[in-house]
Amino acid sequence: MNTISSLLNEDWHERYRRIANLNIRSSIYDLTNRCNLRCKGCFFFSSGEHIVTEEMDIKKWEHFIDKEKARGVNLAILIGGEPTLCMDRLEAFYKRLPTYCATNGLIKVSRDKFPDMMVGISLWGGGEDEKVLRGKDTFAVSSKNYEGDPYTYYLYTVTPRQVGKIEPVIKRIVDVGLKVHLQLLSNDESVDGFYWRQGELDDLRFEMDEMLDHYPQTIISSKYYHEVITTGMMLGRRFGWEECPSVTESLDTRKPPVRRLIHFYRWAADLKTIHRCCTSATRDCSTCKDGAAHMSWIMVNKREHMNTTRDMQNWIEVYEMFAKLYRLIPW
Amino acid sequence: MPERIATEGIIRHVAEIIIGELKLEDVTPDTFNPDMDLVDELGIDSMDLATIALVLQDEYKIVIDEDDYPKLKTVRFICEYIEEKLAAKC
Repeated sequence: MNTISSLLNEDWHERYRRIANLNIRSSIYDLTNRCNLRCKGCFFFSSGEHIVTEEMDIKKWEHFIDKEKARGVNLAILIGGEPTLCMDRLEAFYKRLPTYCATNGLIKVSRDKFPDMMVGISLWGGGEDEKVLRGKDTFAVSSKNYEGDPYTYYLYTVTPRQVGKIEPVIKRIVDVGLKVHLQLLSNDESVDGFYWRQGELDDLRFEMDEMLDHYPQTIISSKYYHEVITTGMMLGRRFGWEECPSVTESLDTRKPPVRRLIHFYRWAADLKTIHRCCTSATRDCSTCKDGAAHMSWIMVNKREHMNTTRDMQNWIEVYEMFAKLYRLIPW
Repeated sequence: MPERIATEGIIRHVAEIIIGELKLEDVTPDTFNPDMDLVDELGIDSMDLATIALVLQDEYKIVIDEDDYPKLKTVRFICEYIEEKLAAKC
């Protein structure tokens, strides 16, 4: 029987201890159905998940959040639509729970009101890809809004067209004093020219590893995460519906039970509807490239990584990456 | 003495449940260290704990509150927890 101390030296064991008891209970909330962009490939609008009647009464939001807190949620992940269009709801969450806001960065979150709220700014590549997919180069605006902010990072969704071109984007982020995390486009709306081919994914993995070596102070990532997200494989298992941990608990009828995020829900902005998972129910799970789902997949399979020292170290690095993204441990 | 025998029986049974649920190899209820930290050494997570707690609830007809999971750090602590719950029912 392998134990942690039989696999890790004292340094690694200390790193393990730092994260082993975090006990994160996250859930995702669509803060609004509205957005100030309409990006091609955005699962929220392509899936029709925005078609619910948005709850407008802030008191009902406050009551809802209190109930979520009582349910054990200790990390609220706010998406949308664009969460910064509803600052009162954002504030209601922030006052009650550790909160992460996923935004396109076009509207600045006031640091007077939200001094340490984690902000993740979506970025879909360099200026040209951003114009094709999102209608504008959002970086030009978001980088001005958040330059040097210690609680903000870019969530860079790499597209097939970006392979071989990541470094200039990373450099722009370095220049504005922010961090970046990498994930892959899932192309939910079948935009021409944005499908992944396996060779591209192999090249991208190599490129992401290289960037991590060159910019370790800027990129929040791990090589094992790169491997899993580009291959869709972990310890000989393939990602898909039978494996995904990020399924809303009450909708998870899989048998046998799958290792999953405990008490995870994704709520719609009517505060009644629940969505299947952290992305959209219309997405084919076998081609899903969602970074958070793959990260969580690794994290919930801790004991499966206790076969070798390298496997366990890989697991720790991914968990640390997650913990850094939410500033649960320092960058 | 009977109390100690009862305690040792619970410890052995809890170890047996953990070994079975986690499919641990190269260890038996007799060789399982009851003071081993389940998170820090065995690497169990909250889902493992929830699974083990469900079995323990069935076996001992007790309720294990999720807020109490952090108390269940070792087999010996679990045993003490079960004994407290059983005593409270009497």
